[in-house]
Amino acid sequence: MGTLRNPVAGAVAIVGLGHTHQGELPGRTVEDNAVDAGLEALADAGLTVADLDGLIACKSVQGGGNDVAVGELLGVNLPYVQSLDYGTCNFSLHLAVMAIVSGMAHTVLLTYGADARSRKFDFGKPMYGADFASAAGLVHIAGRAGLALQRHKAVYGTTDEQFGMLAVGQRQWAQMNPNAIFRKPLTMADYLAEPYMVEPLRRSDVTMISDGGVAVVVTTAERAQDLPNRPAYVAGIAEYAGVRGEHNPQNLMRPWLKDSAKAIWTSTGLTPSDIDALYIQDPTALWSLQMLEYYGFCGVGEGGPFLAEGHTLPGGDLPLNTHGGQLSESYTWGWMHVVEAVRQLRGQAGQRQLDAPAIAMYCSSHGFVKAAASILATSPDVGT
Amino acid sequence: MSDLTPMDHPLAAPYFQEARQGRLVVQRCNACGALRWPPLSGCPECHSRDTTWVDVAPRGTIWSFVVYHRAFAAELKSQIPYTVALVELDAGPYMVGRVIPGPKPPAVGDRAVAEFVVTAGEPSVHWRIA
Repeated sequence: MGTLRNPVAGAVAIVGLGHTHQGELPGRTVEDNAVDAGLEALADAGLTVADLDGLIACKSVQGGGNDVAVGELLGVNLPYVQSLDYGTCNFSLHLAVMAIVSGMAHTVLLTYGADARSRKFDFGKPMYGADFASAAGLVHIAGRAGLALQRHKAVYGTTDEQFGMLAVGQRQWAQMNPNAIFRKPLTMADYLAEPYMVEPLRRSDVTMISDGGVAVVVTTAERAQDLPNRPAYVAGIAEYAGVRGEHNPQNLMRPWLKDSAKAIWTSTGLTPSDIDALYIQDPTALWSLQMLEYYGFCGVGEGGPFLAEGHTLPGGDLPLNTHGGQLSESYTWGWMHVVEAVRQLRGQAGQRQLDAPAIAMYCSSHGFVKAAASILATSPDVGT
Repeated sequence: MSDLTPMDHPLAAPYFQEARQGRLVVQRCNACGALRWPPLSGCPECHSRDTTWVDVAPRGTIWSFVVYHRAFAAELKSQIPYTVALVELDAGPYMVGRVIPGPKPPAVGDRAVAEFVVTAGEPSVHWRIA
């Protein structure tokens, strides 16, 4: 059970996973996908809708899939229900942990659904309305990511070959994942031969758009003991929000990620060398570069040489996104990262299964604005 | 009017009025003197809402830039490839703007001078590499 330093450690566990096919699901709404995944997650946990006392629904980027819409299809009234605009599953997981540790709920279903591919959602349209940046043609997340990468290259000397290790590595992992949408081999030569899409980013540095639903069941450590799956205990959680304005160096380079990092390392007493499997939500590969540095897996500015050494590839000492991440597996706003982390901790990752990982970490962010990190472990003692 | 330009936002109106006259303006807080861009209804430094628009020197340094080879909006199709830079104004604030194609590609750290270009009735800052 958690201590004063880290009241969540070992108190809560992920016990159920569910997801739809990822790719194209024409004719199915955001809520259909969220509910299909939710029912599968409950079945995986050995539970039914009747066992829930909480629901946290993550809205899709288009705005559907909130708690009212999902709850209506699930057919439940519950003590604790919430909707989140923030994606990546980390924020949903943190809210579930808080609800459970506070005693407001004991067993919570987290859902996410998307139909962006079938609906042909326009990711070039400014999400929060036109502004001076979109007026200049700075549209799509690749624009801001490209600004940050270009700056990183100029300041630290990061090369295309070093950065390309992320896209190439993610594809190597994806080739071992039957769920992955992009499985065709991608060599470094292939990568470098790709034309720039938003220079300095190439197509393979940016996620695809896909439909799909993902859901996770979270419950108390005590209840987790009685359920069929090996629990993945939450060892620590942290967030940090850079909500003070966009389109400036603080927003694009995100030095404040180190504050989220400091919080999670301090509260859990762990260090980067304790992490057996690392997950970084990656709408563009820049996310991984920045988070490897600011969470302390390498020095700030040293991400390029670190990647070139191959640590994050299959067989490396820091396996990164063993499912292929958002670059190669599917979009799902990072939710599948949590599914894969738990699969690895359970030992259910098939051909890509790591050698008995005990501690996994998931780092994510909502746009360039809000960062979150979680550490999951096979033992409830980790982080206490 | 473009879907990408905030022409109809009341906060932006003074900027467009001055830009039509060829003047680059940003907001200044009358209480603490802080300059701010993009425009906000109040000062994030001292929270005063007492604001004036002031001229700033149309000069700055390229903090970073990107080159779009794909058009993510229909109205951008005829414009690719185009370059967008984040410029640190000598006056302090950072400003996003188009880069005017020149004899050489831009580089981080290049000096840049603002020019006003009117496209489809919308004046905007474009940066010429000095």
